[in-house]
Amino acid sequence: MTMDRRTVLGLGGAVAAGVALAPGLHLIAAPATSTGNTSPESASRPGKRWAMLIDTTRCSADCTACLTACRTENNVPVFGDPDRDIHWIRKVELRDRNLRQPPISLPVLCNHCENPPCVHVCPTEASFIRHDGIVQIDKHRCIGCRYCIIACPYKARSLVFYKTKPRADANHAVPIRAAGVVEKCTFCAHRLDEGKLPACVEACAKADKGAMIFGDINDPNSEISQRLLKEKTQTIRADLGLKPHVHYKGI
Amino acid sequence: MLSEFSAIEGRSPGYWKLVAGLGVLVLMGAGSFLYVEHHGHAVTGMNNQIVWGLPHVFAISLLVMASGALNMGSMSTVFAVKQFEQFGRFSAFLSIALLIGGLAVLMLDLGRPDAMLLPMIHMNFRSMFTWNVFLYTGFMTLCLLYLWTMFEYKQYKKFVGTAAFGWRLVLTTGTGSIFGVIQGREVFGSAITAPTFVAVSLTSGTALGILLLAYTYRMTRRELDDRLIFGMRNAMIFFLVLVAYLLVVEKFTRFYDPASVAVQTWILTGPWAWLYWLGVWGAGVLIPLGLLFNRTIGNSVSGVLMASGYVVVGAFCFVAHTLLAGQSYPFDLFPGYTITSAFQDGMAGTYMPTLSELLLGLGGVGISGLIYLFGIRFFRMLPAKGEVPKGWEVPWNP
Repeated sequence: MTMDRRTVLGLGGAVAAGVALAPGLHLIAAPATSTGNTSPESASRPGKRWAMLIDTTRCSADCTACLTACRTENNVPVFGDPDRDIHWIRKVELRDRNLRQPPISLPVLCNHCENPPCVHVCPTEASFIRHDGIVQIDKHRCIGCRYCIIACPYKARSLVFYKTKPRADANHAVPIRAAGVVEKCTFCAHRLDEGKLPACVEACAKADKGAMIFGDINDPNSEISQRLLKEKTQTIRADLGLKPHVHYKGI
Repeated sequence: MLSEFSAIEGRSPGYWKLVAGLGVLVLMGAGSFLYVEHHGHAVTGMNNQIVWGLPHVFAISLLVMASGALNMGSMSTVFAVKQFEQFGRFSAFLSIALLIGGLAVLMLDLGRPDAMLLPMIHMNFRSMFTWNVFLYTGFMTLCLLYLWTMFEYKQYKKFVGTAAFGWRLVLTTGTGSIFGVIQGREVFGSAITAPTFVAVSLTSGTALGILLLAYTYRMTRRELDDRLIFGMRNAMIFFLVLVAYLLVVEKFTRFYDPASVAVQTWILTGPWAWLYWLGVWGAGVLIPLGLLFNRTIGNSVSGVLMASGYVVVGAFCFVAHTLLAGQSYPFDLFPGYTITSAFQDGMAGTYMPTLSELLLGLGGVGISGLIYLFGIRFFRMLPAKGEVPKGWEVPWNP
């Protein structure tokens, strides 16, 4: 079979037009999901808005209980490659450039912003916000484009650079790790759904630090709501207007 | 019509050597893709601070040049510059070829390339990437239609060509906005980024067009009137001045803001300053302008070709600098404090590309090159003889 030039160009145009239009068409309507302030998570609880308060005056540089608990709970491996290791939560040390204050040690994690730029830029809606404000990543939808890592001002996201296999003692309550997709702190959503606190908060309390307070800021009587009302706190990069939900005291 | 369009013969050893060379690039790119796919992105030079590396630089450079390659077509169809009408087909086809090469690299560098069709099914219409999916596919559709009208339905050429011209401006605005809309990283987030991308696409697309036309005509032993090259040279000079203007305005506005002085000083003197000064300004603007304004070099075809080569390299450096310097600058989470952590907080990101990334990027160049070579062989893309219309002279010479 031979095709003349007109047919070839016409077919080319038709294919390109099809590719251009196909994304807007749906053969079967999918259940309504969205990237906005709603989510398909049935387990999430509407009406709640989880947030964290970190009291840096109670956090010491030599304590990494929250980091260890997070790695254990969420099966976060250590590759031994500092540039490519996955950090859901990390300890940072702040030093006043004029050395007027002693160094401050504090954990930094996903801020579960109300206006998260990562969700905004994600092309496939893999990043989304649950009813309770937790920013989540659907690993099956993430294509590994890394635009969210570019957009996040907190360096809260990590790409999984290495292929891993689940260890025998892994926590099966969290999804297994997939190479090539992006992941980050989930506020231990699986634990919250069971009525437990995030692993880092629990470990901090067990270590007798009590530097991490977690709760529902939509409940005016919760400890976190009361303390945010009474104490002087701040969020990281408040200037960006992202409304982060990890608050810090003592900076 | 000045001269009949004809496909090149494509039987010479030179042609097949070129096809073989580009074919090898494509094969090596494919091998490199499989290697990265098998081992994960750990075998690349990318890390959690620099997540877009050399493949993105290749891909975005090709996409920027794809939109710029439409210049010659637009100049004749939209702005009635008659001497470029004969290169309209070449121009639209080159755009398609470059677009496919660039998109291929972009797709194959995904963390999950097996899921590359997901953006077609699940779309977030607030994402700049999603908009770009429509912009790329729409541009390709318009270029194909434009090509079709140039071949068969000349009465619609003006309409489709004008639509393609408008689309290419929006397309490159979209490409530049991938960085321009990001407020979380100090180096990105500027409204002027997108117009600068458009200007760079104008210079680099014209430069690549000049290079390909000159070498295609030379290697096929066809005639190409030097005055056509000089006409394009003049357009390129104008575009180069435009790039210089936008680069200066960007730095001026940034330096005027006291909060940005530290970031901008870092750009001009930090670890990527060499790329900015030598690549973006040197190769991308000053050297070509110097060559083209020189009375001897600027008036010789080989001089214009040399300048065009610099412009293409400069565009590549511009994209590389935007990406790599933009990602390297340390996150300033707590202004006024020095910050340290086990996750390189407070440190500039480092990036050393690996061979696999280079080969993947070159694979995209190979794809574009092969499409071009097959296109000019199987379709009547180019006039048998590149002539100037009667009575037309180059309006200005250095």
